[in-house]
Amino acid sequence: MSSVEKNQSKTNSVIFSAHELSWRVGDHAILKKLSFDISNGEFVGIIGPNGAGKSSLLRCLYGKNTPSNGTLTFQSKMVQDFTRRELAQSIAVVVQEPPTNFDMNVSDVVAMGLIPHRPLLSFSTRHDLELIERAIEEVELQDKANADFNTLSGGEKQRVMIARAIVQQPDVLILDEPTNHLDVKHQIEVLQLAKNMGITVILSIHDLNIASAFCDRLLLMDEGEILANGSCANVLTTENLQSVFKIKATIDGHPFHQGQRITYDFLGGMQ
Amino acid sequence: MIRRQFSTLVIFASLFTLFSIFFSTTLGSVDLSLSQVLKSLFVCTDNNSSCGVEPLYQRIVWEIRLPRILMAFLTGAGLSITGAILQSVTRNPLADPYLFGISSGASLGAVLAISTISGAIVSITVGALLGGFFSVFLMLALAGNAALKVERLLLSGVAVSFMLGAFTSLVVYYSDPETATTLLFWMMGSFSNSSWQQLPLPLITIVVGLALFILYRHWINAIQAGDEGAYTLGIPVSRLRLLMLIVCSMITAVLVAHVGGIGFVGLMVPHICRFIVGSQLYKVLPMCIAVGGSFMIWVDVVARSILDQQVLPVGIVTSAIGSFFFFVILKTRSRSV
Repeated sequence: MSSVEKNQSKTNSVIFSAHELSWRVGDHAILKKLSFDISNGEFVGIIGPNGAGKSSLLRCLYGKNTPSNGTLTFQSKMVQDFTRRELAQSIAVVVQEPPTNFDMNVSDVVAMGLIPHRPLLSFSTRHDLELIERAIEEVELQDKANADFNTLSGGEKQRVMIARAIVQQPDVLILDEPTNHLDVKHQIEVLQLAKNMGITVILSIHDLNIASAFCDRLLLMDEGEILANGSCANVLTTENLQSVFKIKATIDGHPFHQGQRITYDFLGGMQ
Repeated sequence: MIRRQFSTLVIFASLFTLFSIFFSTTLGSVDLSLSQVLKSLFVCTDNNSSCGVEPLYQRIVWEIRLPRILMAFLTGAGLSITGAILQSVTRNPLADPYLFGISSGASLGAVLAISTISGAIVSITVGALLGGFFSVFLMLALAGNAALKVERLLLSGVAVSFMLGAFTSLVVYYSDPETATTLLFWMMGSFSNSSWQQLPLPLITIVVGLALFILYRHWINAIQAGDEGAYTLGIPVSRLRLLMLIVCSMITAVLVAHVGGIGFVGLMVPHICRFIVGSQLYKVLPMCIAVGGSFMIWVDVVARSILDQQVLPVGIVTSAIGSFFFFVILKTRSRSV
């Protein structure tokens, strides 16, 4: 079955389902009784102020955080019942990592996407190398395949991470603030590449205009709770932005796409 | 093209290693020619001079120099791959068995064994192994939950290193003068006592360790890029790091037991190798074996020939060169920041 058919046959089935999901560190509740479903093939954005619990929620989804209470299922099975390797075979994650002192070239980093699928003792096959090459072409970094990863620009690094995710052949792609520190062009480029993968994408993001252009659905979080969950039109309202971000905004239809256009009202009184 | 460059490098490095082994066999208190060495090794049999080399020289080559040179090679190679792995799994380019307290633990165990039980290689090895494990245990215990964080692990390793170093000094201080001299000389590292009987254990330990390193090379490479990312690729990061610490401590302990304390090789050789071939372990490890092994052979040559009638402890030579290298790293690193 090709990956396209595989995706179509699962369309609209629920892939992640959270019921009263809580996660705490010691006595400190970070996530409080979250309930939501994510369907196969959806492009879901998680928005909210710094410290709202976006990254903690994403970490629950990819199995790094084990829920303290409530349930979280992935493909109808509790996330904690998967082995780490099983999850890695279905979920690719792009995280923000501090730079390392070890130089690795682009194709080495992309090749890491093979790790969940290959046994410990294995050697690269021709097929693997083709897969890596195609992924690098997909993100248009052919001429940088042998460049040192640490010398790339922020946008190029994110493209490499997407290429690694492509090699991982997952059902879900999770990205933790993938557009941070990128200029507008590269933000759009990275999200477009994620969308092109044609799989379920869940990401945390700060730029609400870009979120509204790309996301099918938004989860608005604040202080560990989901305050709104729905289409961009339903979530990006003047009231929601006022109560969560404490900012006045005018929201109208976007001239170029179906989503919302948010204009922040600086002069009128940012509180 | 890069692949071809790497294989050329490996071939060149292997040839240089072979050259080092044979050429250093000619050097010493009795100077031999390369042809005498090669004849003793490959032509002569039965210890007679029919092959054109005096039996005495044949014995010098076979019984004194070759085991010593092979031990130096094993030590250099073993400490270098250990350093490379420790640097990778902790993502710290300054990590090596010394910084982690593994060497101090092994030294303490060995010193205790020498001063209380005997100087037999068996008891020293067991003592060093126990000491090495103890230092890893102590480091993890001190770090507690923070052991999951690499930076904390390293800090507690440094603390353990100093603590166990202090105990070692204490043992030496309270030993009778004769034992103290033996201990001091042993702690500074030497290949003087190398014999064929001593080679198998370090060889086996290094081969087994290397096999594990190669088996886990993809996972270790992923940890080099970051813990969180490695986790999302399905890698048991903390457990793998612990396994590697234990394997590294075994290699270090066995080497410390056989040749004493030799610092800085594990720190600087991986750096040189990464500088030449990049950070991929399947390239770094073979280079470490060739470069580290050859380096140690030449250090030993310097140690036994720099002073007339006297053999310098190898540890002194490596530390001297090592600290100089440390400054060079610091200089280049501060320039790149």
